Amino acid sequence: MHVTPLLTVGPMDERIVMVDSDTGLELTEEQLDERSAVATVQLRRRGVRAGDTVLICLPVGPDLLVATDAVIAAGGVACPVPADLDAAALSARIIASRARVMISDLPQALEAADESRVRIVMSVADLSVLHSCPGSR
Amino acid sequence: MPEPPRHNLPAEPNRFVGRERDLDDLRGLFGETRVVTLCGVGGIGKTRLALRVAAGLVTAYPDGVWLVELARIGRPELIPQEVARVLGVREEANRPLLDTVTARLRGMRCLLLLDNCEHLVDRCAEVAAALIATCPRLSILATSREPLRIASELIWRVPPLDLPDAGPQAEEAEAVQLFMDRATAAGTRLGPGSLADVIRLCRALDGLPLALELAAARTRLLSPGQIADRIDDRFSLLTTGGRTAPARQRTLLAAVEWSYDLLSVKEQVLLRRLSVFAGGFDLELAEQVCAERPISAAEIVDLLGGLVDKSLVSCDESRRRYSLLETIKRYAIERLEQAGEREVLRERHLDVLCALQERHFSAEMVEPGLPWPRRLEALTMSKRLLDDQRVALDWAAEAGNVAQGLRLCATSTSLLPIGGNLTEIVAWIERLLSLDLAHVAPEQVAHAKAYLAYGLEARDELSRSLELAEQSLAGLAPDNVFPRCVMHSLTVVVLLRMGRADEAVPHAEEGLALATRSGDAWNQAAGLLGLSALALTRGRLREAQRHGEEALARAREHGHRWIMARTAAQLGAVAEARGDLVTAKSQYEMAVPWLRELRSELDLARCLARIGRVAAMLHEFGTARECLGTSLALGRATGQRQGVARCLVGLSVLAEYEGDLEGAILAAGAAATLRESIGQHSATTRIEELLARARTKLGDGRTTSLWSRGLAMSPDDAARHVLEGERLAPRPRMETTAPAETVRHSLLTARELEIAHLLTRGLSNRGIAEELVISPATVARHIANIMEKLGYTSRAQIAVWAAEHPNVPG
Repeated sequence: MHVTPLLTVGPMDERIVMVDSDTGLELTEEQLDERSAVATVQLRRRGVRAGDTVLICLPVGPDLLVATDAVIAAGGVACPVPADLDAAALSARIIASRARVMISDLPQALEAADESRVRIVMSVADLSVLHSCPGSR
Repeated sequence: MPEPPRHNLPAEPNRFVGRERDLDDLRGLFGETRVVTLCGVGGIGKTRLALRVAAGLVTAYPDGVWLVELARIGRPELIPQEVARVLGVREEANRPLLDTVTARLRGMRCLLLLDNCEHLVDRCAEVAAALIATCPRLSILATSREPLRIASELIWRVPPLDLPDAGPQAEEAEAVQLFMDRATAAGTRLGPGSLADVIRLCRALDGLPLALELAAARTRLLSPGQIADRIDDRFSLLTTGGRTAPARQRTLLAAVEWSYDLLSVKEQVLLRRLSVFAGGFDLELAEQVCAERPISAAEIVDLLGGLVDKSLVSCDESRRRYSLLETIKRYAIERLEQAGEREVLRERHLDVLCALQERHFSAEMVEPGLPWPRRLEALTMSKRLLDDQRVALDWAAEAGNVAQGLRLCATSTSLLPIGGNLTEIVAWIERLLSLDLAHVAPEQVAHAKAYLAYGLEARDELSRSLELAEQSLAGLAPDNVFPRCVMHSLTVVVLLRMGRADEAVPHAEEGLALATRSGDAWNQAAGLLGLSALALTRGRLREAQRHGEEALARAREHGHRWIMARTAAQLGAVAEARGDLVTAKSQYEMAVPWLRELRSELDLARCLARIGRVAAMLHEFGTARECLGTSLALGRATGQRQGVARCLVGLSVLAEYEGDLEGAILAAGAAATLRESIGQHSATTRIEELLARARTKLGDGRTTSLWSRGLAMSPDDAARHVLEGERLAPRPRMETTAPAETVRHSLLTARELEIAHLLTRGLSNRGIAEELVISPATVARHIANIMEKLGYTSRAQIAVWAAEHPNVPG
């Protein structure tokens, strides 16, 4: 078998899958694959199993895409909650859900989690750290 | 010796219902996470869940699972003390207790369960962070209304129990299950006809376990439907504070208030008064503190039984020890304050504690002619009151009742070094003496200073101790004989330790004369002990023997095992000094059962080390090994570096007598390093003699190299070398990675290996998916699996690994 120790990147991988409208930063397919792979492992470490619903309350952007891909790869059901909902509606959506895990950085989402059945809230940062002990909010 | 239990988790009081998946997930988290905090409102079941999680982890933690109940601790500085108590670690002189605890936990794989952190959350966070940072194999499970907010903490929000959906499975919902279980336990049979009401009630109570338990306890008198109606009404009656609280808290408060309001007036009074206790309490204590209009002492047993039946008070299986759940206790405190009874009750609690501890102290130490079992009982009862004593002392300081506070300090051996508690007495007395002393009799201040001096000696603060002992003697009334005698004995000890034996003689004589006149056997023994020690220091062996024998006779007359063990040790030392090793050993051995009875590990460790050393010199190597091994284990378990160093010296003697000079030098070297680390001097004469003998036999170079190797050796390694006859191992080689690699390979499935190799081509998930004709999501799942199995953190690492391992299908 031919071995390529140095990784070459084919044209498909450089394909840009998203441009962050706020920052203008681009997310390539390779970056998406990489980040969601790490995020999948993190979700599993916190107990996400096949069939589990995971709430995702993030603004539209690369993080949302990564989180959604990761939840699906972990075998979960991604349930997005629009981050721009007003506080009451956001809270109602979270409280009504039976999800055990939520991915969000929004303070109002965190607050609603306290009154919901969500056990673990993961931040975007929690999705990417793999070395150190996991933190969460 | 039998294997000691590897946990201190209490038996479950009743059936644990539901939360199967949560238990599974939580236990799974501990594979990766070091700190998990279960958060949520009071009554949601954090403690019960934590205990259940912890029980399931006992096999995963070979060094144990240890519950530290913080609810009964009122002051943040007592947290390390409570952790130490649970772990059996004892304070070392001149070292912060937390450092000793950390050192003890450093190599241990254990789980600490810190229960009810919320009232001390800042200090809990500091302690947890310090332990996690230095003890790499330690995990912490905490329960708290608020998170600890430390790095590496995983906050796990405890939800209420699952509520019933509409439909045939409603009966299986966790909330319904719990309610039914507790109703049955209360003696109520609920037929299928009541299911609809039970479901309504479970929903009204939001699935909160405590609320469900309180409701279920009332099913003998009220139907589930009636309870649901009344609790609904309760929401509108909530006091102002409750109305703005989050929903769950409101529901719980409504349930607790409802349950409280249903109590008889006397039950209400008792429940709120029970909130003054630190933690668990027994009937007698409740009777003494809580019996006041409108309830009489005789009624309390029935009232308490009623509160247990209504799930407002918990009790152990034997119905001897009662306690309040934290949530109920807080509610009861509020009611107590509202009734304007807080001051009165806390004052009463303090008074009762003073009276009880005084009685126990007198029975344990002072009263002549009591049999030992009676003294031991008093000691045990006094120790059991320690938590309440702390709460009472806190109140004394808070209310400025210095006189009662000092009185309580002077009447308890559990606060003193004799009870294994080195510094606590110092902190309490210093705190009280810093307050306004205008209303305190000088005699009482002098009495307190006696115990302060006593504590300071244990902390090696000799000159301060001496100064306070002098002040105390100057201020104590001539007829306050017991503390006067104690001060004379203490002065003898301090002066001896300071090398001022001559000044000590008059104190020893005066203390003895006073004690003899008053017929106080304890202090006679202590005085004679001092005289024997003084004679020994001056080389007057026959005199030392005579005083020692007489001391033992007086000690036996008193019966207290502590003073008996002390005098036996003194007689052993005297025998050793005259070279009579056989007698020395038998004197030391005499003390062993006494110290075991007292559960005084530190004294026992010291005694066993002495026996071991003497046995080695008598060529009784088996006994020596056993005693030194046990002593070493005790020293390590209690975190006493001094104790470990003492054993290493004993092991050095043992090795030399066995002809193992190498081991003798290594153990002596390790002991010297350890002693230096605690600022202690080693007995240099013995070391020099040992090294001189070694040079003759082994040569200069070998001796020097062994000595420096011993200096650098860990105490454990040095001890093992002698105890197990382990030879010096060659220097450790670099670990090879080959076996691990084979394992890694076999972990991956054929498909995963295939994908790993496709990654070396730099393909994206979509690229790989096209190649293998599967979906990109499936590829992503395979890649996550590979990362988990190989412990990698990026796709690139998988690619590099696959590139380096081409000999696999791919």
